[in-house]
Amino acid sequence: MGAAGRPASSGGYELPVYPFVPRPELSGGQSKRYPIVIVGGGLSGLTLGCDLACRGIDSVLLDEDDTIGVRGASSRGIVYAQKTLEIFARLGTYDRVKEKGVTWSVGKTLAGADIVYSFNLQLESASEQPPFINLQQFYVEWFLVDRIRALGRCDLRWKNRVTRVEASRDCVTVEVATPAGPYALEADWLVDATGVNSAIREGFGLETHTARLADRWCITDVRFKEKFPTERWTWVEAPFNENRGVWQHLMGDDVWRLDYQMASDCDPEYVSRRDVAEARLRAHLGSREFELVWVGPYAYRDHLLDEFRHGRVFFVGDAAHVVSPFGARGGNSGIQDAHNLAWKLALVLKRQAPEALLDSYNAERQPAARQNLEVTSRTSRFLAPQSAAERILRRAVIGLAREHPFARPLVNSGRLSVANPYPESPTVTGAGWSVQNVPITLPGGARGSLVELARQVGTAFIGILYQPTRGHELAEFARIEATGLPFRFFVCGPGGIGDPEGKLANVLKAEPDTFALIRPDLYLGALVRNASAAQAEGALRRALCLPQV
Amino acid sequence: MHTNPNIPDPDGLYAALIRAHEGLSEAQSAELNARLIFLLANQVGDQRALLDCVTAARKPFGKGA
Repeated sequence: MGAAGRPASSGGYELPVYPFVPRPELSGGQSKRYPIVIVGGGLSGLTLGCDLACRGIDSVLLDEDDTIGVRGASSRGIVYAQKTLEIFARLGTYDRVKEKGVTWSVGKTLAGADIVYSFNLQLESASEQPPFINLQQFYVEWFLVDRIRALGRCDLRWKNRVTRVEASRDCVTVEVATPAGPYALEADWLVDATGVNSAIREGFGLETHTARLADRWCITDVRFKEKFPTERWTWVEAPFNENRGVWQHLMGDDVWRLDYQMASDCDPEYVSRRDVAEARLRAHLGSREFELVWVGPYAYRDHLLDEFRHGRVFFVGDAAHVVSPFGARGGNSGIQDAHNLAWKLALVLKRQAPEALLDSYNAERQPAARQNLEVTSRTSRFLAPQSAAERILRRAVIGLAREHPFARPLVNSGRLSVANPYPESPTVTGAGWSVQNVPITLPGGARGSLVELARQVGTAFIGILYQPTRGHELAEFARIEATGLPFRFFVCGPGGIGDPEGKLANVLKAEPDTFALIRPDLYLGALVRNASAAQAEGALRRALCLPQV
Repeated sequence: MHTNPNIPDPDGLYAALIRAHEGLSEAQSAELNARLIFLLANQVGDQRALLDCVTAARKPFGKGA
């Protein structure tokens, strides 16, 4: 649905092609000014455009290509974690992701034939969304494009390549090359979602602290009829891969991602040769029939910008941070960057919050990226020991994990993406964690979820007074809505929303008379026990970077 | 981190460690020591004390990276 033009074929998949449409600017005249220009139509750029559109905010999205995915479609993100899935539920693409993808929650780490670590994240999940869905990245992008086209408001401009960006105090000027010639446009805010090799970032000369790692892998995507369990299997030592690591993950269309760790001095051309890849698969799969979809060697790097905001320019996703792939913290964090930024831009553009609120994007997402970098670097180090001492430590851990449960959590084949908690800041008070999308009853009594409530209230904070015992103050809480601040007040209890399974109390850590301030990105902005209405309003104003009254 | 005596039979422990290493190659001894570190760490179970021990063990060789 939605796609236009001839299909593009890549890696055995047929991708949609979107037409280049000349815009008015091309026929000469003044360059037009737009509130938000997003550059790059990958996961983070498309999420941002879609999220803004859901909030009624117009944007222009420039992409140099005319399709989703990249040349060599398969070699990208495949694991979408719970917070991301909750965001997709908010944006309206979740049902398609769920239908096309593979839902899973169990991971097993093996050394040889022994399971040395395992987890089932469904056991500790309270969300309406599962812990993980695996799906080829281009499908996720495709669904976002379709959704954007249905919503309107985000002007997707394909075959629009940004050639120059200039930022001043009050404006960003963007020069664009298209098949019909160049043009320029102006933006209040520019978001760079152009990925790891961002020319925009390089144009500003910003330090990325890049490190290249010696570890080498070879992705092999394979289609076969036989069913494996839909679990994440990782071998830290696979006898069928010269005792190096192997990853085994299912994706949509019955395609498996098999990822083989190579010797660090391997020849990338040689290890990705078809006959060499097939021999490796044979050793792994025995006599099972398979069809090779895609083979690609890769090495990884990491980088991290010091500041994700540069005046009127924001960096999201890989343009701001890149980590090694173990733990699915790349695509997921890019999507969560976009979701963090979207509601803040929306409130600033609607003049419901001051521009200072936009600084909290960096204050929250830069530490999140730093945390992801630390977590993934530790995994890389376990998977590819760098010295004799490291090899000995790892050998001891794997040996002990075979015998003793205590050593199993030390086996590190990737700590999967979580919704990073945000530090205390001017906008986060005694809270900062992501609130899972728990089931609730909506006002009126229908069964729903927190995401549905968020969709109903639009871009507003949700204030929940949990099971109040002091009825006389309710009117004062309700009066906060009348201040015109982006805020909706709900009592959890008789006459309000309901917590039929007790999950809301759990995820909010709420007791009777606790006031929880849930942000539009379903992070908890503040938690106040035995709250008064004045305290609730104070917390709201802080979260919006507004002065206290 | 305890720095005052806390091992009930120091000589007995030392002797047991020597016996454990008998007949092992250098590589095997290194692995035995590493196994011992993790087994003991799990007995301690106190992150602060463990990290203090790592720092104390590193002390003669100068600060790490």
